[in-house]
Amino acid sequence: MNHDPNAQLAAEHEALIQFLYLAPVGLVQTAIDGEIQMINPISAQLLMPLVPDGDLANLFEALQDVAPELRQLVGVFGRPSGMVCDGLHIHLAPSGARARRTPQVLSLTLLKLDGERLMAVLSDVTEQVRRERQLRQNDAWLNALLTSITDYALVGLDQQGRVSAWNETIGRVTGHSDAVVGSPYSVFYPEGATTAEQVHDRLVEADQNGWHLDEGPRLRVDGSQFWASAIISPLPDRDPLLDDPDSPAYCMVLRDISDKREAIERRRHAVYNDHLTGVANRRAFFEAAELELTRNRRRPRPTALILLDADHFKRINDRHGHPGGDAVLRQLGQLLLSTFRQVDVVARVGGEEFAVLLPSCGLDDALAVAERLRALVARQALGFDGAHIEYTISAGVAAVDGESLNLEALMKRADQALYAAKAGGRNRVQRWAPGLDAAASGEITEARNADR
Amino acid sequence: MTAADLSFSSPDLRAHLAHLTEEDLDRLDFGVIGFDADTTVRQYNRTESDAAGLTPARVLGQPLFTNVAPCMNNFMVAQRFEDAIDDASSLDDTIDYVLTLRMRPVKVKLRLLADPGNAMRYVLVQRRP
Repeated sequence: MNHDPNAQLAAEHEALIQFLYLAPVGLVQTAIDGEIQMINPISAQLLMPLVPDGDLANLFEALQDVAPELRQLVGVFGRPSGMVCDGLHIHLAPSGARARRTPQVLSLTLLKLDGERLMAVLSDVTEQVRRERQLRQNDAWLNALLTSITDYALVGLDQQGRVSAWNETIGRVTGHSDAVVGSPYSVFYPEGATTAEQVHDRLVEADQNGWHLDEGPRLRVDGSQFWASAIISPLPDRDPLLDDPDSPAYCMVLRDISDKREAIERRRHAVYNDHLTGVANRRAFFEAAELELTRNRRRPRPTALILLDADHFKRINDRHGHPGGDAVLRQLGQLLLSTFRQVDVVARVGGEEFAVLLPSCGLDDALAVAERLRALVARQALGFDGAHIEYTISAGVAAVDGESLNLEALMKRADQALYAAKAGGRNRVQRWAPGLDAAASGEITEARNADR
Repeated sequence: MTAADLSFSSPDLRAHLAHLTEEDLDRLDFGVIGFDADTTVRQYNRTESDAAGLTPARVLGQPLFTNVAPCMNNFMVAQRFEDAIDDASSLDDTIDYVLTLRMRPVKVKLRLLADPGNAMRYVLVQRRP
């Protein structure tokens, strides 16, 4: 038996070290500004692919492209210690060819230990998220069925999604008379909230999954809006050979849930919206984009993507401080929301980078809107703290039309176009073209760092 | 070429490493982790052992990317070796990395060595300023 206290200590020390080496989650201790003090192997496994130049020194910097809100979350955390965020989902770039070992969703828990130190737990929850998404859909269906329904409209839809017959419930909930028969169910959506292709998409998804559920604003015949939950379900026992093409093929149940809207919206906002600007966050963007491209593969239609950011953003931060930079981002978010349609997905996908996904929109149309936005930003200065902040944006536009392109490839094209816009002098919109390819790719990071 | 002349960036390093004894490996001024086709660690020199705070006994015979160096278990390192096997190609690449030796972030260069003709593959580790 070895009684040498040093040898015993050394053995214990080594056992502890190996215990931490083998921990299956990432553990990081940092200073309050994110400077890494202690870090275990799984943390490096997950973070190294995110850092641009092989240097992992600050946790916030490592995550700044995928979780730009962290510094602010810590900054506004009022208590001397406690949980800053618990299981925050961080969405990484969509995986393309490298799919095999690439995590797509990380979970981050951040604990403030005291005025000087933070502790982070980081893990790969990609598989978990996939499973949960499936469960959530099932839960939503059950919830819709079991919640007491006080007012609903039962709408028969034909094979194409057109209203096949009128009944009193339709009149009560939407105000429409039997004149609505023959109109596609998009008549119940506000202007710009859906597209002809999406009308068809939902029917296909109802056929595939047994039902399609969504929530959102709907329009009454008098032009007023209400918040609705709508389920579309295929009617059973249909014989395609015998069926009269005008007889109902689907049943749509439309419920007015305006009174529950605030609670639902608050919950949704916390998960899917960027805290600073109010637009969608990375997670919302990737979910929506993957869905739209899946629909695209099933039934091709033009789909466009715009990537844009504020020019010389670092200068704005240097001159006006982070609050000034935040004000710019907030205004830019507002301008984006007022420029694009409701069906377009406007999201903040990086520190100062925004993405807009435009369903059923071709390259030329997307280019036109992007140019309109660029001009709007260029002529609107922001009043901040007694000063006038003038800024411009650069944008890259890419689109798919009939070709089978995954999200990573589409984003790469828009990114290359954005880089070309920067290289071309900024304050401009650039469309993707095949020539922008190889030379641009390697220099994109450089151009970005020049902006920082 | 004797062990004394070998450095982290010596050309043809893979061939030389194969001929070194354990004592020679321990005298190198860079870390050497040798592992076989099953990713089992077969060689672990003193430089690396001292840096990581792990005695070879705890490391030899263990799968490298899950039990010894999980920080390297991603597309930047582990997958490079898998790709080299899949393509039956050679691998000799040096990358900047950060290891978590004794739970501190340590900036290093990793040199990844593999050759289709030899079962023994290597990750070499050298600190960078």
